Amino acid sequence: MYRKKKLTALVVGLLFVFAVITGCGGGGQDTAGGDEVIKIGFLGAKTGTHAAYGVPTLKGMQMAVEDINAAGGLLGKQVVIIEDDHRSQSSEGATVTQKLITKGVVAIVGDPTTGITKIAGEIAQSAGVVLLSAGAVGEGVVEIGDYIYRNTLLDKLAAPVVTKYLKEELGWEKVALVTSTNNDYSVGLSKLFRNSLAEHGMEIVTEQSIQDGDQSFSAQVTAMSGKQFDGIIFTGYYTEGALFMKEVRAQGLDHVMVGGDGLLAPALWELGGDAVEGSMVYTGFEADPEGATGKTLDFIKRYQEKYGELPDMFAAQGYDAVMLIADAIAAAGSDDPAEFKETLKQTADWQGVSGTITFGPDREPIKSPVYLLEVKDGGWTIKAVIPVDL
Amino acid sequence: MSMLDDFLRQFINPYYIQVLMLLGIYLIAALGLHLITGVTGQLSFGHAAFMSVGAYGAALINLHLDLPFLICLLAGGLLAALAGVFVGFPSMRLAGDYLGIATLGFGEILRVVFMNLEITGGARGLAGIPRETSLLTIYVLVILTIFALHRLQNSRFGRALVAIREDEIAAECMGIKSLWYKVGAFAIGSFFAGIAGGLYAHLLQYLNPGDFGFARSFELLCFVVLGGLGSIPGTVLGTTILTLAPEVLRFSSEYRMMMYGLLMVIMMIFRPRGLLGGVDLMRLVKRVLGSRRRGTATPAG
Repeated sequence: MYRKKKLTALVVGLLFVFAVITGCGGGGQDTAGGDEVIKIGFLGAKTGTHAAYGVPTLKGMQMAVEDINAAGGLLGKQVVIIEDDHRSQSSEGATVTQKLITKGVVAIVGDPTTGITKIAGEIAQSAGVVLLSAGAVGEGVVEIGDYIYRNTLLDKLAAPVVTKYLKEELGWEKVALVTSTNNDYSVGLSKLFRNSLAEHGMEIVTEQSIQDGDQSFSAQVTAMSGKQFDGIIFTGYYTEGALFMKEVRAQGLDHVMVGGDGLLAPALWELGGDAVEGSMVYTGFEADPEGATGKTLDFIKRYQEKYGELPDMFAAQGYDAVMLIADAIAAAGSDDPAEFKETLKQTADWQGVSGTITFGPDREPIKSPVYLLEVKDGGWTIKAVIPVDL
Repeated sequence: MSMLDDFLRQFINPYYIQVLMLLGIYLIAALGLHLITGVTGQLSFGHAAFMSVGAYGAALINLHLDLPFLICLLAGGLLAALAGVFVGFPSMRLAGDYLGIATLGFGEILRVVFMNLEITGGARGLAGIPRETSLLTIYVLVILTIFALHRLQNSRFGRALVAIREDEIAAECMGIKSLWYKVGAFAIGSFFAGIAGGLYAHLLQYLNPGDFGFARSFELLCFVVLGGLGSIPGTVLGTTILTLAPEVLRFSSEYRMMMYGLLMVIMMIFRPRGLLGGVDLMRLVKRVLGSRRRGTATPAG
C-alpha cells in the first residue's frame, strides 16, 4: 500500500516536472533571436466568454501575416505571430501581455475588449511596445499613452453620421429616444445622439427610460403612442431592443428602430421576430460579397476560401491592425517601436479592408465608412454604406 | 522598493516576475481563506468578494485621497475585515453548505453593487490606478502573513478555532464563545483578502467587478482544499501548484484548462485530504532530522 502510494506520487511528480521543463522551454526564449523575424503579438481570448472576439481577430491576423510574407516580408524579414490565450481573464491578460513582450514582440494586436486593453495598455506603454486594439470601443484607451492605438469605429463618430443619414436619406424629423438607464453604453450613446440630433435640427418628441433586464415595456410604449414621430432611436442592447419592438407592434405602432452595435446579434430577430423587421443597426464592418469592391472584396473572398465562413468585424479589423503596423514599420524603415509609433501616428487616409483609417491628433481613429444594416427576413442586409467626411 | 525590482529585471524576465507577483497575491488571499475554511472550518464561497472590497477600497482611497500606498493597502484590508465581520454574523445560525450559500450570495451582491456604483466606474471598471505594487512588497507581505498566521494558529485564539472546527458544541461547553471566534476568523481572513486585493489593484492598474466573481472565489477555495485543509505549508503548496500550472501548461494551448482539470482530479484521487492534509511539516522535518542524526550516530556506536 505504501509502495503504491509512493509510486503514484512519483508519477504525478514526474508529470509535473515534465510540464515545468517543457513549459519553461517555451517561455525561456528571449529577445536574443529576434533579428531574423519581426514578431507581432496576439492578445485575446481563444477560450472563455470572449473567445468569439479573439478567434476571428487571430484568423484575420494570420491572413495578414501570410500576405506580408508572400510579398517578401517586411524590411527583408519574415513576420510571425506570437499568440497566447488569456481565457478572458484580466489577470491572465496582464501575464500574457508581459509574456509576449518578453518574447520580443515589437507590437501587440489586442485585446478585443476595452477592459483588458486598459490593463495591457499600461504594460505595453511602460515597456515601449506598440499596442493596437482591433476591438476596444470604450473610453480611456488611447489616453494611456503614445504607444496605444485602436482601429475601431467609435460611437462618437458613427452617431452623427447615422443621424445625418436618417434626416437626409430617410427624411426623419422627429424621433423617440429610448435609453437603458442602468447600462453605461446606452447612457453614453444616448448622449451622443442627443447632441447630433440637436446639431441636425431634429426634434426628440419623447424620451423614454428603460432598464436592462426589464420584461415589460408597455408603460413606455403607451407614453410614446400619443406622440407623432418618424422613428425610434434605441441605444440599449439586443434583448431589450427585441422585446421593446414587440411591445411597439402590440400597441399598433409601425415605427422602426435604429441602434448601435449593442443590437448587433442574431438574438435580435430570434427574440423579436417580425417586430424587428426593418430595424437598423450600425457597425464598423459587414462582409458584403455582392456590394464590396477592390481590397475588401478580395479579402472577403480569400477569407471565405481559407476558413469557410464570411469574415466578421473582428477578422477584418484584425487583418487591418497587422497591415497598419506593417505599413508603419515599412515607412519608418525600422522595427523599433519607438520609431514606428511615430509613423503609425501619421497614418492618414489609409485604405484597409474594413475601411479608410486616419489617426486624429488625439490618436483616436477616424474610420470610414459606417455600415448601416437592416433586419430583413431574419438576417442582416446592408441598407447603406455611409462614408464619414470630417 | 521598485529599485530592487528593476535590479531583479536584469536577471529574471518580466514575465516570470509578473507570474510571481500574481502568485504572491493569491498566496496572501488563500492564506486568509485558510484561516476561515481550513482552521475554523467555515465554508466560504465569497472570498473573492473580500478581495474586491480591499481592491476597490485601496484604489479609491489612493485615487481620491492620495495617501501613501501602504496606508491605502491597510485601509483596504480594514474595509475588507469590516465586510468579514458583516458576513461573520450570519455564521452564528448557519453552518456548512448553508453558510457557503450565504457567502456566495454576499459575493454576488457585492459584485452587482460594484457594477452599479458611480464611484467604482460601474461596468466600465476603474482605470488609472497607479502601479505601486512591487515584487518586494508582495513577498515581504507574504512572509508577514505566514508568520502572523503561524503565530495565530498556535495561540489560544487559534486553538479555539480548531476546537470549533472539530466540534462546535464541545468547544462551547469548554467555554469558547464560538460566535465571537468565528466572526474574528472571518474578519482576519478577510483582512488578508483585502490586502491581496489592494496589491492586485495596484499591480493591474484596472479593476472590473467581473474579476471577482464566483469563479475566483472557487479558485481560492481549491487552492486551500487541494493544498490540505488546516495546513499553512499545504495552502502555500496548493496555491503555488495551481497558480503556476496554467502557466506551465501553456504548451498544450487549447487543451490547457482540460489538463489543469485533470491535474486537480489526480491530486484529489491520490491525496483526498489535500497535498499536505494531515501532515505536520514541523514534526516531519524534526523526524527526518532526528533519524539522520540517529543514522549518523549508529556506525560510530
